[in-house]
Amino acid sequence: MSFDKNEQTIGSGGIIALTLLRILIGWHFLYEGFYKLAQESWTAKPVLNGSKWIMNGVYSWIADSPSMLSFVDSLNMYGMVILGFGLILGVFTRWLALGGAVLLLLFYLINPPLPGLYYTTPTEGHYLIVNKNLIEMMALVALVFIPTGKFFGLDRFLYAFLKKS
Amino acid sequence: MENEKQESKEEEKKGSLNLSRRDIVQGLATVPFLGMFGWSWAKKDGPDTSASGPVIETPKEFTGKELNVAMLGMGAQGQVLLNSCLRIPGLKFKAVCDIWTDLNLKRAVNLLTKYGHEVTGYEDYREMLENEKDLDAVIIATPDFWHAEHTIAFLEAGVHVYCEKEMSNTIEGARSMVDAQKRTGKLLQIGHQRRSNPRYIHCKKKLLEEADILGRITTINGQWNRGVQPDLGWPKRYELSQEKLEKYGFETMHEFRNWRWYKGLGGGPIVDLGSHQIDIYNWFLDSKPVSVMASGGVDYYEKDTHEWYDSIIALFEYQTEKGTVRASYQTITTNSSEGYFEKFMGDQGTLSISESANKSGVYREVSAPPWDEWVNKGYLSKPEKKETPAAGEGAVVDVRETASPESHTIPVELNDPYHQPHLQNFFDAIRGEAELNCPAEDGYETAVTVLKVNEAVEKGITVKFNPEEYVI
Ligand SMILES: NC(=O)c1ccc[n+]([C@@H]2O[C@H](COP(=O)([O-])OP(=O)(O)OC[C@H]3O[C@@H](n4cnc5c(N)ncnc54)[C@H](O)[C@@H]3O)[C@@H](O)[C@H]2O)c1
Repeated sequence: MSFDKNEQTIGSGGIIALTLLRILIGWHFLYEGFYKLAQESWTAKPVLNGSKWIMNGVYSWIADSPSMLSFVDSLNMYGMVILGFGLILGVFTRWLALGGAVLLLLFYLINPPLPGLYYTTPTEGHYLIVNKNLIEMMALVALVFIPTGKFFGLDRFLYAFLKKS
Repeated sequence: MENEKQESKEEEKKGSLNLSRRDIVQGLATVPFLGMFGWSWAKKDGPDTSASGPVIETPKEFTGKELNVAMLGMGAQGQVLLNSCLRIPGLKFKAVCDIWTDLNLKRAVNLLTKYGHEVTGYEDYREMLENEKDLDAVIIATPDFWHAEHTIAFLEAGVHVYCEKEMSNTIEGARSMVDAQKRTGKLLQIGHQRRSNPRYIHCKKKLLEEADILGRITTINGQWNRGVQPDLGWPKRYELSQEKLEKYGFETMHEFRNWRWYKGLGGGPIVDLGSHQIDIYNWFLDSKPVSVMASGGVDYYEKDTHEWYDSIIALFEYQTEKGTVRASYQTITTNSSEGYFEKFMGDQGTLSISESANKSGVYREVSAPPWDEWVNKGYLSKPEKKETPAAGEGAVVDVRETASPESHTIPVELNDPYHQPHLQNFFDAIRGEAELNCPAEDGYETAVTVLKVNEAVEKGITVKFNPEEYVI
């Protein structure tokens, strides 16, 4: 599969639109990360404790283990900041998109809106199986396959370097 | 040499990334988004209204004229006012007067001496007036039934007067005070101190007048609920002689201490407590009620020592420029639930305010236009999401659909004692640097409004206010 063919199939408008999609998702990650960092005592603990469905056991175990929890907390905060910077700047785009998608899947699994599961923490909007985490995850999956960083982003320099060698 | 150079250049070309201008532009094309992010991150919190510091500064460096001040009535409130005055620069205390010479007078003289003021103590205010010829101002905190006589005497002697609320225990008394003020041209400030409280001023001037944040105000509701309190006692060795008590209008020591509860001396809780808040109704609405009905009685305390009603629930009707406003007010003295506050309700929002800061809040009706402009101007704090109470198993709570009103706080705080700004305003007005915040006419209107509540209870009727009653 060649990149030129992609360009032909999705066109330059498509590339620009997908680049913007990448930037918006990056922005979202960056803000979530910074926001948590700015809050001195942020922790995923309450969210993890409220987890339901198949990941319940693992998440509760993390929440109850102080060392695991602080590891997961920092991974979360710094991970999101790195993802944010990377996606906006378009560096290692495909790898970061993959990482972001995995992270979002993990978020989704904390409290998936499946029929038969009831949550007491309020959410905005109404969801059945599909929620915004899932949609954002799928958007990142798409960006794994479409290397927008090659067109707009620092990856362009990377590709030039790889091409040379 | 030449060849070598040529070759290395070629090599360089091979080894370099061979980037075109287009490559560079596209490669860096998304960097500005980071700049945008940084900019909005810095902006996102808006003005800092974390309410730790006062938005309105009260302390002022003193440069003006030093004023000669006397105080009359050094009981509980006299001491509170004195403590506030001691924080205000530019005052020179010359004299204090109180009939309880061994206790309250002595205490005040001692305190002032400690602060370096050379004061003379008097039992009789007439003696004070005779001896102190260079007074600029007097602060009066005697029981309500003395206010008219004391105030008029000082105004006529050419002294500016700060008189505690209630202006008088009778409408005639209050009226004669306004007359005296007009006749003498001296300043008369009535002690409704909320009128100088920066938080109340902010609500009145910014939120109500400028932002018109509540829309059409239709309803007010306010209260002062106070828990059971024992009658005030006195140390036996400082008991006043019967002769002295009677000379100053009291029949017993109990009356002297608990004058508030006696007809002819005070006005009971509605006058003592209610008047502060009903004053705010009138002020915020720029209006006076057209009628009042009220239910009340001496339901709990001993009737022979509590002549005035210990519980009252009053309903006022206002006809404002924007339409009818109905206001309820209750004061009870047997239960302190939720303390004291005034709550103004309009079709666009609610303003709840109290002299005690932690009770204030502004709430936007869901249907009202957004208030972001006022948040950005620093008039309101950022909205807080009201925690929706956790629902039981099986209920999915959705804040978007069942949103309770957004809650804001008022980003202006008074960090000084409650009465200090009002006293400061009085002294500033004497120096010609300010207008009085509660001049005689305003105090009079409130006195009429409040005293009529007792009349409504007494007669068991709806009392209509005669507009002429307000006019002097
Ligand atoms: N603005 C407020 O927040 C506030 C609060 C409390 C009281 N007040 C007002 O302050 C005034 C005093 O209330 P208080 O609680 O201090 O009462 P109080 O009984 O504690 O004090 C009254 C003082 O006046 C003295 N006194 C009585 N008759 C006198 C006279 N003829 N000449 C000189 N001194 C005389 C008494 O000896 C006593 O020391 C009242 O009008 C009251 O409504 C206002």
